[in-house]
Amino acid sequence: MAGTRRQDGLDHVDLSYPPEAEEFRAELRAWLTANIPAAWTEPGFWATVGEDEAFDLRRDWERRKALAGFAGIDWPVEYGGRGGTPAMRAIHDSELVRARAPRSVNSLGLVFLAPTVMAVGTPEQKADIIGPMLRNEVIWCQGFSEPDAGSDLAALRTRGVLDGDEFVVNGQKVWTTFAGRGDRIFTMVRTEPGSSRHRGLSLLLIDMHAPGVEVRPIRQMSGVSEFGEVFLTDVRVPASQCLGGIGNGWATAMLLLSFERGAAGISQYTAYRQAYDEIVRVARALGRAGDPVLRQELARRRVELECLHYQAMHVLTEVEQGRDLGASSSVTKLQWSQAYQGLFETFDELLGADVALLRPTADLDLTALRQESFWTRSVTIWGGSSQVQRTIVAERVLGLPRGS
Amino acid sequence: MYFALTDEQRALAETVRAFLADRFDLRAVRAVVDDERGDGHPADLWRAIGEQGWLSVCVPPEHGGLGLGLLDAQVIAREFGAGVVPGPWATTVLAGAAVRRVGSPEQAAAVLGPLGAGELVATVALRGPGGRFGRSGIAVRADAAGRLDGAASGVEYAHVADVIVVAATEPVAATEPATEPATEPATEPVAVPTGGGSGRGDGGVGLYLLERGGDGVRIERQASIDGTTRLAALTLTGAPAVRLPGSDAAALADLLRRGAVLAAADLAGVARAALTRTVAYDTERVQFGRPVGSFQALAHHLADLHVAVTMAEHAVLYAAHALDEGRPDADLAVAVAKSKANQAAGDATAAMVQYHGGIGYTWEHDTHFFYKRAKRLVAAFGDSRQHLEHLARLTVDTVG
Repeated sequence: MAGTRRQDGLDHVDLSYPPEAEEFRAELRAWLTANIPAAWTEPGFWATVGEDEAFDLRRDWERRKALAGFAGIDWPVEYGGRGGTPAMRAIHDSELVRARAPRSVNSLGLVFLAPTVMAVGTPEQKADIIGPMLRNEVIWCQGFSEPDAGSDLAALRTRGVLDGDEFVVNGQKVWTTFAGRGDRIFTMVRTEPGSSRHRGLSLLLIDMHAPGVEVRPIRQMSGVSEFGEVFLTDVRVPASQCLGGIGNGWATAMLLLSFERGAAGISQYTAYRQAYDEIVRVARALGRAGDPVLRQELARRRVELECLHYQAMHVLTEVEQGRDLGASSSVTKLQWSQAYQGLFETFDELLGADVALLRPTADLDLTALRQESFWTRSVTIWGGSSQVQRTIVAERVLGLPRGS
Repeated sequence: MYFALTDEQRALAETVRAFLADRFDLRAVRAVVDDERGDGHPADLWRAIGEQGWLSVCVPPEHGGLGLGLLDAQVIAREFGAGVVPGPWATTVLAGAAVRRVGSPEQAAAVLGPLGAGELVATVALRGPGGRFGRSGIAVRADAAGRLDGAASGVEYAHVADVIVVAATEPVAATEPATEPATEPATEPVAVPTGGGSGRGDGGVGLYLLERGGDGVRIERQASIDGTTRLAALTLTGAPAVRLPGSDAAALADLLRRGAVLAAADLAGVARAALTRTVAYDTERVQFGRPVGSFQALAHHLADLHVAVTMAEHAVLYAAHALDEGRPDADLAVAVAKSKANQAAGDATAAMVQYHGGIGYTWEHDTHFFYKRAKRLVAAFGDSRQHLEHLARLTVDTVG
């Protein structure tokens, strides 16, 4: 008996995607099959390529994908997008993971800046920014954090002083992804002298090749240098390169950060499931997949991954129904970051005495998983640390009184 | 893609919540808890539940029911958990599911109509003394004539049930080859994979309908930590019973999965209520000159609990849907839902006691209703160890 099905035609739990979304999936899958070199899909391939070469390969590949029509999936057609639905966007992201496609090199621009420009940009900014970004002709960085303004963004001190129709910008940004490879950076700058906290800020779009911009890479605990510091010394920025209005930077930044990828959880689930299966294979290769304690731990991690999938489907539903996500993005962040990090804690545990070895046996190379394991330590810090997210949930979801 | 409660289901939840606030609040629960010798089955409540149609959710329309699924039943189960409601609602729904799925048309006609109308109380007896949920935990044997011998323990509301669905091992019919494995696995999954044959020969398990007052049936109340239910031991001595003709090992596994989802839904409700009540208390309670809920140590833990409870709610929704639709991942989804609900409710009710301070440790306060109900249900229809080991079989042993 297949259970009872409602005949009332109302929305009801339904895990399928509409036919047009599935057609899109088939089309994309075929393109990916034909356009990803087989070597790239080998586990560990990207760890064997130098950082410069890897970046160039990813940048060019992503550009070809865009030219084939598989970019800006849920953007309006007038901006060069595909005019698709949030579900199609989720399918796109998930299929890329499934096919082991290279990760985007322009995601901060694509995810955050582009929709903000569409919402509040001038016609000139829209024409100038969106197309070149979509084709990876311009790589965008984000310049929000500073040495003394991490979780507390409003403490930022980089200042811009209007001189004629240009701002003269001085200051320092940090934790900038792809700082060494970026062409332009969207930056929070204090443009009203003497202002404090959320007032007197502007979001400036700065040319990273301009005089006075200096970038220093930061080597991460994993050994790679995807992040960097950006030093700004008397950098001249035309006033026309302010997005969202001078002095209106805080509101613009909040709008920008609200473009959380509502559908991102679906592809994260796909990615973490791949990691789960790889970790299981390692456990088996080391003869530890029968350990009853380890099995309990692996199963517990799997529970959290499945819950992430449910949360992602729920968020996608809310987005498609046009409902306000509110502070639920903090719930999503806590769930995905902790599920992902926890999975790799179990990876470390199952290695036992071999945890310090990159190649515990002749035919087991753990370099890629080890890199990923280190990476998971960062995911509970960036994008709003777990502590910040818990405060948001406590105050805005549970309604607990604010701490002093 | 639609993964959320419907407006209708939200309205149903609101109706149940409003009914309980009006007609069966925590003072009424307390009266049941304190009346330890009472039957734990308030007649007014049961009558109202029948009138509201909350027993007929899973009864097919041809027997006068609403013909809905577990997806709707879990909405009610969650609210009953949130209200720590006593009574045999869940056991009656579950016994009804067994009759509906593997009973004969005559059995269905006899049981489901009265059951949906609230005229019949039913329960399930699936586990022997000290036994686990699953085939290896059964301590009742059936003979070829359908007479039952043995014992069942921790049976909810057996003392008021008109009908009891009993799981029993069966002799392998001489004419059929035995396919039962020679040795049972050390850790038995709570749910045996579905689709494995049918009839008496294959697994040696059947489900039987037993009437309370029949010959050879002894029911003795068992003292319980959870005053929001009543438990009893069943001793059967040649008790005549009627087999549900479609029942087999797969039917038992299916029943355990449904029980696990209803228990998980109840736990999700317990957890949500424990969290909400704790937030309310800690918003008012002032120490060191400020509400204790403003202290980050509490606030952050409560935020984590909100995440966990939200995930448990999602997991229950998914598992109920997966069972209703017969999805291939239903087995996995049930194990996820029960273990997540176990964790969320265990943590949330322990936090409820802790964050009420000294008053939370008293009999006078309501915290212990939630804590103890969670304790019981966490172990019901498979504890976390059992579900996680099953999940490991499904996700570790199957990776290619």
